[in-house]
Amino acid sequence: MSARIKEMVRVATARLGGEQAGAGGASSSSGFGRRESTARLGGAGTSFRRQPQPMAPTVRTVYCNDRDANAPVGYKGNSVSTTKYSILTFLPKGLFEQFRRVANLYFLMISILSTTPISPVHPVTNVVPLSLVLLVSLIKEAFEDWKRFQNDMSINNAHVDILQGQHWESTPWKRLQVGDIVRIKQDGYFPADLLFLSSTNPDGVCYIETANLDGETNLKIRKALEKTWDFVNPEKASGFKGEVQCEQPNNSLYTFTGNLIVDKQTIPLSPNQLLLRGCSLRNTVYIIGAVIFTGHETKVMMNSMNVPSKRSTLEKKLDKLILALFATLFSMCVIGAIGSGVFINEKYFYLGLRGHVEDQFNPKNRFVVTILTMFTLITLYSTIIPISLYVSIEMIKFIQCTQFINNDLHMYHAESDTPALARTSNLNEELGQVEYIFSDKTGTLTRNLMEFFKCSIGGEMYGTGITEIEKGGAERAGIKIDDDEGKRSASAVHEKGFNFDDARLMRGAWRNESNPEACKEFFRCLAICHTVLPEGEETLEKISYQAASPDEAALVAAAKNFGFFFYRRTPTTVMVRESHVERMGSIQDVPYEILNVLEFNSTRKRQSVVCRFPNGRLVLYCKGADNVVYERLADGNHDMKKTSREHLEQFGSAGLRTLCLAYRDLNREQYESWNEKFVQAKSSLRDRDKKLDEVAELIEKDLILIGCTAIEDKLQEGVPACIETLSAAGIKIWVLTGDKMETAINIAYGEASIYLDFLVNNDTKQFIISSETDAIRETEDRGDPVEIARVIKDSVKQSLKVFHEEARHSLISTPERNLALIIDGRCLMYALDPTLRVDLLGLSLICHSVVCCRVSPLQKAQVTSLVKKGARKITLSIGDGANDVSMIQAAHVGIGISGQEGMQAVMASDFAIAQFRFLTDLLLVHGRWSYLRLCKVITYFFYKNLTFTLTQFWFTFQTGFSGQRFYDDWFQSLYNVIFTALPVIIVGLFDKDVSASLSKRYPQLYKEGIRNSFFKWRVIAVWGFFAFYQSIVFFYFTAAASRHGHSSSGKILGLWDVSTMAFSCVVVTVNLRLLMACNSITRWHYISVAGSIVAWFVFIFIYSAIMTSFDRQENVYFVIYVLMSTFFFYLTILLVPIIALFGDLLYLSIQRWLFPYDYQIIQEQHRDEPHEYSRVQLPETSHLSPEEARSYMISMLPRESSKHTGFAFDSPGYESFFASQQGVGVPHKAWDVARRASMKQQKAGKS
Amino acid sequence: VVSVFFIVGVIFVPVGVVSLLAARDVVEIIDRYDEACVPGNMTNNKLAYIQNETISKVCIRNLTITKAMKQPIFVYYELDNFYQNHRRYVKSRNDAQLRDRRKANQTSACEPEKTTANGQPIVPCGLIAWSLFNDTYSFTRGSENLTVDKKDISWKSDREHKFGKDVYPSNFQNGALKGGATLEPTIPLSEQEDLIVWMRTAALPTFRKLYGRIYFDLKVNDTITVRLNNNYNTYSFGGKKKLVLSTATWLGGKNDFLGFAYLIVGGLCIFLAFAFTLLYFIKPRLVTFNSSLLQSAWKVISCVLDIHVTF
Repeated sequence: MSARIKEMVRVATARLGGEQAGAGGASSSSGFGRRESTARLGGAGTSFRRQPQPMAPTVRTVYCNDRDANAPVGYKGNSVSTTKYSILTFLPKGLFEQFRRVANLYFLMISILSTTPISPVHPVTNVVPLSLVLLVSLIKEAFEDWKRFQNDMSINNAHVDILQGQHWESTPWKRLQVGDIVRIKQDGYFPADLLFLSSTNPDGVCYIETANLDGETNLKIRKALEKTWDFVNPEKASGFKGEVQCEQPNNSLYTFTGNLIVDKQTIPLSPNQLLLRGCSLRNTVYIIGAVIFTGHETKVMMNSMNVPSKRSTLEKKLDKLILALFATLFSMCVIGAIGSGVFINEKYFYLGLRGHVEDQFNPKNRFVVTILTMFTLITLYSTIIPISLYVSIEMIKFIQCTQFINNDLHMYHAESDTPALARTSNLNEELGQVEYIFSDKTGTLTRNLMEFFKCSIGGEMYGTGITEIEKGGAERAGIKIDDDEGKRSASAVHEKGFNFDDARLMRGAWRNESNPEACKEFFRCLAICHTVLPEGEETLEKISYQAASPDEAALVAAAKNFGFFFYRRTPTTVMVRESHVERMGSIQDVPYEILNVLEFNSTRKRQSVVCRFPNGRLVLYCKGADNVVYERLADGNHDMKKTSREHLEQFGSAGLRTLCLAYRDLNREQYESWNEKFVQAKSSLRDRDKKLDEVAELIEKDLILIGCTAIEDKLQEGVPACIETLSAAGIKIWVLTGDKMETAINIAYGEASIYLDFLVNNDTKQFIISSETDAIRETEDRGDPVEIARVIKDSVKQSLKVFHEEARHSLISTPERNLALIIDGRCLMYALDPTLRVDLLGLSLICHSVVCCRVSPLQKAQVTSLVKKGARKITLSIGDGANDVSMIQAAHVGIGISGQEGMQAVMASDFAIAQFRFLTDLLLVHGRWSYLRLCKVITYFFYKNLTFTLTQFWFTFQTGFSGQRFYDDWFQSLYNVIFTALPVIIVGLFDKDVSASLSKRYPQLYKEGIRNSFFKWRVIAVWGFFAFYQSIVFFYFTAAASRHGHSSSGKILGLWDVSTMAFSCVVVTVNLRLLMACNSITRWHYISVAGSIVAWFVFIFIYSAIMTSFDRQENVYFVIYVLMSTFFFYLTILLVPIIALFGDLLYLSIQRWLFPYDYQIIQEQHRDEPHEYSRVQLPETSHLSPEEARSYMISMLPRESSKHTGFAFDSPGYESFFASQQGVGVPHKAWDVARRASMKQQKAGKS
Repeated sequence: VVSVFFIVGVIFVPVGVVSLLAARDVVEIIDRYDEACVPGNMTNNKLAYIQNETISKVCIRNLTITKAMKQPIFVYYELDNFYQNHRRYVKSRNDAQLRDRRKANQTSACEPEKTTANGQPIVPCGLIAWSLFNDTYSFTRGSENLTVDKKDISWKSDREHKFGKDVYPSNFQNGALKGGATLEPTIPLSEQEDLIVWMRTAALPTFRKLYGRIYFDLKVNDTITVRLNNNYNTYSFGGKKKLVLSTATWLGGKNDFLGFAYLIVGGLCIFLAFAFTLLYFIKPRLVTFNSSLLQSAWKVISCVLDIHVTF
């Protein structure tokens, strides 16, 4: 193998690596680091399915183009199945899944119990509601699975060209086998993990898009081994006989080690030759590949794990409520059972208790009677557990998500065509109770639009601009700053990625500076040391840079503007058009040979390039985080280091992202010996990354500092206002900024305070815990790691204690003063130590805002779970990058910004929004409403079932505790599923206390959610009390009918007449009570409430008119007609509901009048605004006020049809791609839109 | 809210007044006779008295009319501590058998009164029918016989649909223990109205059942003589037996309860309406939204509580 190939492979890998730094490096950290972090954290209730990684044959051997040879191994086919069930397993497995829910299992047991003679009720009472609930759930499951199946089918039946003998044959994907040679055409998807053999492009490269894997839309280059370049046409390809030895299937997307043995030569393989299933081919006519992993063994499929499901705190509390209900049920049964044991007596001759009597009623064995009656009563009172509650909640939440959150135009970002997206539907109400927000900074609070803003070269600072943050700070300090664009100096240049104003460096003026050599190195470093790909015409104006991160692009753009125009990259060289180097005005194209690229990754936090100048000079250029670079500087030149560090701090305090540049001259021997080690490390099969890092350390030392760059990261639109609103809503915002993995930008420590300025307004008391103190630095200089750790820990401990005291004093003496804690990652590491955690938490909870800087993804997650678990507060994490994934998963609610850093965060999140400012709508409007609605639904369910069951309970006392049912079987079974089902769902969907705009105008309303005002035990107790009161009214008032009331013809009502009357009253009352609980009453409410009541009467009219021939008691035959022939019935049905509701009405009015909730005050204030909250608001029209018409119009415009969408990771995307291709009608997923947004960006970038 | 209370009040008070007036028109005479009909020498052993078939159960009661009663006058018997709604009792019947001659053998739920000792099905089977009430009443005013009309005392739907016209009692009360009344085997069940009334089980352990009607007007201070057969055993379980004579209005029987309930609720509503109106003038609603106050208060509280931290 020639050295040339080696070089090419290396460079291409480097390029790939560089891009991985963007998504790859980050995503591998999200894939694995995430796992690690959650595991270490003890997992926020999340557990990941670890893929089985067979240990035994550690090497997989694939014989290319030789099915027979592969046959003995028995590789799996390429057909995939993502369905949960098959036709045979659907019923047993589906039912099993359903009965894993406690409520369903409980009702199953009750149903079984009700088939025994001890049951007072016919089995129908419990079986009907249970089967209805199960039916609904199963239909939903079946529907979802059917969609999955259809998609699987369409995927499996997609066609791909496969080599058969000497020609291509179109074959369905599922027929594909390991070792097959396939041809993929342009824009086609790879059907399996392929070994890239050859392409139509010269140099054996091809371009792929990995959007389905990581959301990255920039193209990546893959390069075939030179050995296999020739196998382009079928004749040649058929002659290809190779043996691939590679790792066993695993889920690591960015690693691949293996060897290709062809013609007895062993050639190492890298990820660079692997084309992953799910990616698509771009800008290449076609490629030839050999199948290595198929079907479920592909990396993509092995990665498709389920997002760990989170349960909302409200639901957890609901479990407690259910437990309380069980306790109530149990005590009711005990009372009844004891009563029955005492009551039963032979003296009641009419009960026929003499002689042989079954156990249940045998007075001779009262104990058995008691026990059996216990079961009887459990069956009788089973309605106390609301069986349809969970199904109803699920439905409500699902509709809330799909109809309201996903369709809200307030959260629709028109520029990127991205609506909000609820990825899980079970956390809606959690959004209404968030108390702590943990926010990433870059890309979340800021735009991630990087602009080269300032720099420091050789100890000299350049760049005169003033950042937004400085402006803000100055304005607050009372200094007026002229922000007139016209007054900017003529030298100021502003283009994409470059916003720099200093004539001293522009147009070759740097030659006259004190240190032109340093400037030259600085610019060269910028122009050479990167992994950017130029695109488009090679002119200054038209070129565009494809970079993994905007930082890199900004740096290269800066070099361009300084006269070092990087315009072309070949696998081995970087072409730079240098101006003014030899003399002013001279322009020359200089090819720099790139010998090695030492990739960026999050542990290295730096990136180096070894290049050879045309004149043979060997230089290593390095750029990286300041601390990393400073550690590796050569001795001497202390002044410059010191001034540079000062500059770094200045940049940092201006809110700029900094990066240090350094270089090192190498001599030939030095390099050669090192390069050998490097090549060795590079071709090793095991621990390649680790070895490469070690080798890199060998050469990245004795660096000479050139200077540092400062890049401005612009704030997102509306962020300050949003933060202000959220603070007013009582939400505490913590900013957790990390090193940005992509470019190792070191967030300067001082920057934190800047963000505080808008986090908290004026007069903030800051507590700063930093590792950058003199004492620590001194210790660091001495260099003993144990000593350093001890010193830092002590100082952290000390400051935590002191600050805690101070904070409490300040809180008591001047409560209106805001407190802020700033801590850096290093100190945080010690502060998170179990011994100091409590102090940290205590202090940070008092503080109004907390900023943690330079924190690792793991620390982000740790901080999140510190608050989540330690303080038991509801937390929300928001971020956009892969480094936020762990934090997003650790928090109660994770929000991903569908921004520019790929889809990692979005895929891990529960909700995805396009902009930070949409958080206001998401939390204050949707979250609050969801919370309010869910609370209402749950408490109402609780109330209606308790009321219903308690009437039974009172009746039990009148029946000698025999467990006789009060209601007919069908009344009882349909009560929950028909007569009271729909209105509560309507309330769960449409109830709103105040309008969306008022919710945002009065963020204080949100505090009710934080305090959980609507689902406290007190609230439940009030409902419980009224359930108690009402049930007494129902039972005793209607029972009076039988005692004194009779028809005018003197006839007497019987048991079933009374119970039917009572049931009518219950249905009427319970439905009306719901209306009273509503804040906004729409016609849907009226329809559903009236409909439910009417449904009951229609039912009873029909039901009591028919007589079946079955052997059953015709208890309620004609009952309603008998009742309706009496006046008494009408008077009762008017009286009882009113008396029952009287208490509630009185309570509500007194509460509203004297102890109003905040929202009620707002309602009062705005009651005269007719269209605010009393208006009928439907999902289609609710969010459309006139001023939104414009954005509505935009959203209504026909959207460009999605050409390709998701593939793996996430089944929705997976589905829709093929669905759209095959014309299978899959409902439009909002996910597509998010993806389309990223496509759009890409297009915009290209054009 | 005020208006809701007011409207409810305005509607309820008149309804209450009307129904109360209606209830006031009803004249009701109640006579408890279970104690009184036991001969003096057997008051200590009522059970023996009632179970001894040789002792005559005839008992004479004199009732004085306190208020004029217009016909029809309804004759009820009222039982107490009689759990017609006991689970064992309620289910001990078979509707199919009652309805259909061909289903005489269907006695499934009728434990323990299913069949006779030799396996013949009892029609009507079950505890309810078996324990049929068997006291009888006849009334005289002076020498005038006040005939009791026992037609149409049951609900028409029961008579026509639940009890068959061609179903005749058989093997009824043939067992060792007699629960109550016997039935005339030649009369179809649909005409055995006492049975039909009895079998519409009551909701509460104290209940009345219609015995018959008297189509005579009774004047104040009339004395009527009731000649009753005190057959039914309520002594074993300590239940009371009462004879009730009552007139009825459009509303039914004597039912002060409903009227009072309406009046009270209506009155309360009107009162509350006024109270709230008054409150409105005295203490207007909170309309200022003092958030900063809340905020600082919250802060202090959370600090003072010194949030407990648990790991």
